[in-house]
Amino acid sequence: MTNAGRLRAFIAVGLLPTLIIYAVFVLVPIVWSAYYGFFDWKGIGASKFIGFDNYAEALGDPIFWKAFKNNLIIVAASIFGQLPIALVLSLILRKSTFFQRFVRSAVFMPMVVASVVIGMIWGYIYHPQIGILNFILDGVGLGSWIRDWLGDPGINMYAVSVPVIWANVGPYLVLFIAAIQNISSEIEDAAKLDGAVKSKWLYKIVVPMIWDTIKVAIVLCISGSLKAFDLIYIMTGGGPAQSTELLATYMYNNTFEVFRYGYGSAVSTLIILISMILVLGSQLLMRRK
Amino acid sequence: MNTTTDGGLATDAGRSSLSRSFKPRWAWLSNVLLLVYALLTLYPLLWLFISSFKTNQEFFGKPFALPSAWHFDNYKRAWEIAGIGPAFVNSIIVTLSAIVLTLFLGTLTAYVVSRLNFRFKGLVMSLFVVGMLIPIHSTLVPLFIMMNKIGILDTYASLILPYAAFELPVAIFVVGAYLTSVPKDLEEASMIDGNGYWGTFFRVVAPLAVPAMATIFILGFLRFWNDFAFALVFINNQALKTLPLSLSVFSDGYGTDYSLTTAAMSIAVIPTIVIYLIFQEQIMKGMVAGSVKG
Amino acid sequence: MKKKPVALTALTLAAATMLAACGDNASNNNGGASSGAASAPAASGSASAPASGEKIKLSIWHNFSGDDLRAQAVRAQIDKFKAAHPEIELDAQAIPPDGYRQRLKTVAAAGEMPDVFFTQSGTSIQEFYDGGLIQPITPLLDKYPEWKNNFMEGALDRLSFDGQVYATPLSGSATSLFFYNKSLFDKYQVKVPTTWDELMTAVKMFNDNKITPISLGNKAAWLAQSSILSSLADRVTGTDWFLKAASQDGASFTDPEFVQALQLFKDLSEAKAFQTGANSLDNTQMEQYFVEGKAAMMIDGSWALTNMAATGTPEQLDQVEVTVLPSVPGGKGDPNSISGGSGGGMALSKTVTGAKLDAALELIYTVGGPEGMQAIVNSNSVVNYKVEPDQAVVTPLFYKAFTLFKSVKLTPVYDAYLTSAAADAINNGLQDLLLSGKPETVAKKLQDTQAQALGK
Repeated sequence: MTNAGRLRAFIAVGLLPTLIIYAVFVLVPIVWSAYYGFFDWKGIGASKFIGFDNYAEALGDPIFWKAFKNNLIIVAASIFGQLPIALVLSLILRKSTFFQRFVRSAVFMPMVVASVVIGMIWGYIYHPQIGILNFILDGVGLGSWIRDWLGDPGINMYAVSVPVIWANVGPYLVLFIAAIQNISSEIEDAAKLDGAVKSKWLYKIVVPMIWDTIKVAIVLCISGSLKAFDLIYIMTGGGPAQSTELLATYMYNNTFEVFRYGYGSAVSTLIILISMILVLGSQLLMRRK
Repeated sequence: MNTTTDGGLATDAGRSSLSRSFKPRWAWLSNVLLLVYALLTLYPLLWLFISSFKTNQEFFGKPFALPSAWHFDNYKRAWEIAGIGPAFVNSIIVTLSAIVLTLFLGTLTAYVVSRLNFRFKGLVMSLFVVGMLIPIHSTLVPLFIMMNKIGILDTYASLILPYAAFELPVAIFVVGAYLTSVPKDLEEASMIDGNGYWGTFFRVVAPLAVPAMATIFILGFLRFWNDFAFALVFINNQALKTLPLSLSVFSDGYGTDYSLTTAAMSIAVIPTIVIYLIFQEQIMKGMVAGSVKG
Repeated sequence: MKKKPVALTALTLAAATMLAACGDNASNNNGGASSGAASAPAASGSASAPASGEKIKLSIWHNFSGDDLRAQAVRAQIDKFKAAHPEIELDAQAIPPDGYRQRLKTVAAAGEMPDVFFTQSGTSIQEFYDGGLIQPITPLLDKYPEWKNNFMEGALDRLSFDGQVYATPLSGSATSLFFYNKSLFDKYQVKVPTTWDELMTAVKMFNDNKITPISLGNKAAWLAQSSILSSLADRVTGTDWFLKAASQDGASFTDPEFVQALQLFKDLSEAKAFQTGANSLDNTQMEQYFVEGKAAMMIDGSWALTNMAATGTPEQLDQVEVTVLPSVPGGKGDPNSISGGSGGGMALSKTVTGAKLDAALELIYTVGGPEGMQAIVNSNSVVNYKVEPDQAVVTPLFYKAFTLFKSVKLTPVYDAYLTSAAADAINNGLQDLLLSGKPETVAKKLQDTQAQALGK
């Protein structure tokens, strides 16, 4: 075989199995689900083709947009909360001492514990009567700050963002620690600099060097935030009065609870489209910088 | 990036002098803050373990207290009622198979897309992005119908293949991003040595990518191990059920028996912790190896 | 790196063999394969040798998966059937309640229903009926007239279509039991309210004494609707009006009487009848709060009987009394009533025929027949069936509640008659009323949703 032939064969073998599995188990269902979105179907019995009606209805439903807005809050909280914390921690925790190992592991632990448990603990923190947060506020003389953190529609989206950030730093920390492996020596060289220069060093040296990983992390943040709902759902059930509704809960509810399978499928297709726009937007923004 | 080449020894020297010069000024403060943060993130796990020894009355009445008596039999009952033994075995088989598949295909594809050029590369990459964005619940019905038709429903494959398929994009992007920051010198040398693409992949690229692969191992393991939606719908045979189903049996729709639920969860959480601890070391080992080799 | 997968596989295998050894004991307790000695060899035989292929294969899905008494009772009945019918290969699946609906919906969408399956009454079973997925079990009821005639009045209504019964209720539910803490009423010398005015007075008196009047945890949103509104609105509007409004035939949810009912609910909230943050507590927390004596009253369903028994001490439970919701002066409804109805039952897939059909009907009878009903009521579960619970087995509170249940009229629960979308709308609307919502707006949203869902 020629060199070019060998290269082509390797590319084919390297790509094909992945593409086949991926196409069959991911792409086909996506297209299939988008197709269901064109039907008035309860998931049982007869279905009726109704064109873009489901899509139009979703886009005209204020709750859909409310859910969208709430999702943007979570996306923002993830990108501007989780990522910086994870990045800073990954720079501090890059050694193999026992203490650093311990902290690294601890930071990851909220991820391994079921969301139900995390949701319950934060439920107790925010609890309107016996809540730890209100207790502390009262204790330090900030009694006027006491709120029904999860029940007040004005603030509950921000309240639930905190546990979301807190619980999800772990994976990004792992991602960044793996990424700064390659550049460990540059980091050590730069770390000899004075403290004043250090913050600049972070932006000038470290961030550009793991830029690709940061980009991937942002995509993961966006996709994770738009799909995930369990933690928030456990804490608030999407309420009160749908004030913490998310796109994923909106979709799930219509698909499996309210017997509107076609509509739910349309919503899930819209979620993909919205996520793609966000991902594209973020990638364009980052290219410019 | 070429500065890596001879930085190995200098690095070690630098490290020790660094810690000496910085410790007195702010290291203790940052360590205290880190410790507090670590304890806060560790607390839910502790709470889970403590709760698993309580009665239901104590669970609700005194959520943060220690149990008045330690009910070890919660574990025995949870184990028996939820059928945790067989489910545990199934979960291990399914999760590890899916992980191995994801890692092999993901790393191979990541190598191809990040190092080699071919037509439609942009298209392929954007297709992979789409897969990361879909809410999995909307794929349940299509996947069910399709796997029923091709006859793999109700087998391990009905979980392994979708798990791997959904995790592949993450693997490809994470490993791919990692590889782009690795210098190409080693691969080129390997090709000149006559290793060919496969030889280079196995002998050079895969070992280089160990930290990224360990990351995927941790993330994928976590996702597969805890998956409820697919496990609920695609497996019918009682003997093939995985662990997440066993964790939610202690509810009657209006209330949950938390003493048994937390005991079952405590059992289920142990493998993920072990996996994390093992592969975190892999990530760090990769770091030392990488800097020495570089 | 190449070596690692091998090492891992070896590790896995070792773990697997180790665990399989422990697992064998556990599986006996799980799927009800306690007749394992008889069924295990037979099952493997049928797989390898088609000679024993005459065995009837039957599948049953249900969500009685837990360790609670009712789940145990239902599973025990299924096990009995298994033991009595070695000629039938029964695949019984206990699916966790949290995922049950999702699982059933998915297989229904794919047209792969199990032979016998548990479904909720009302809207849920109607979806299966409308989709042509189930067949009537009327012949079974006709075969056992004594069984049929022992169901309480109306018990089969929400499980029947076009004069045919599609399932019998495995449990009943009373959704609006009025619980009160006897010692708190005694201590503050408050009269147990029988009218709405007395209720408002009681609310005020408890508030003055810094006791939460009524415990409410409405995070799951259906609670205020099922437990409070269903009964309260019936007191005001009467049952006929609701049935008309639900079918959008001669009444509308924007009618003044319904708005008045919503206003009464809002008044309760504004009189600070509920604890702060009622919208962010779940029903377990609300029951806990009440049973600990922190609230004087609680309007909740029969499921609370089990939950309170699980979390409260015997002394705490002794303080709990149960009665009907106070009457509303001038209201059109019967005050001696509780909203409630039939829980779900075992439905039969349309595809089942022949010898398998006989087997399936026999299974349904074993689970939901007189013997099953007795077992379920003895597990502290309300049933819509004339049966006397064994007082030695059930809790005193359950006995009181069940006696009350048998003596009153049952009125409809809102979400059993509304479309799912409309139920969602009123659930969210009530949460909104607890915040700042207006009764008129909530009524209009409910009306619009129900009308749209019914295509009117």
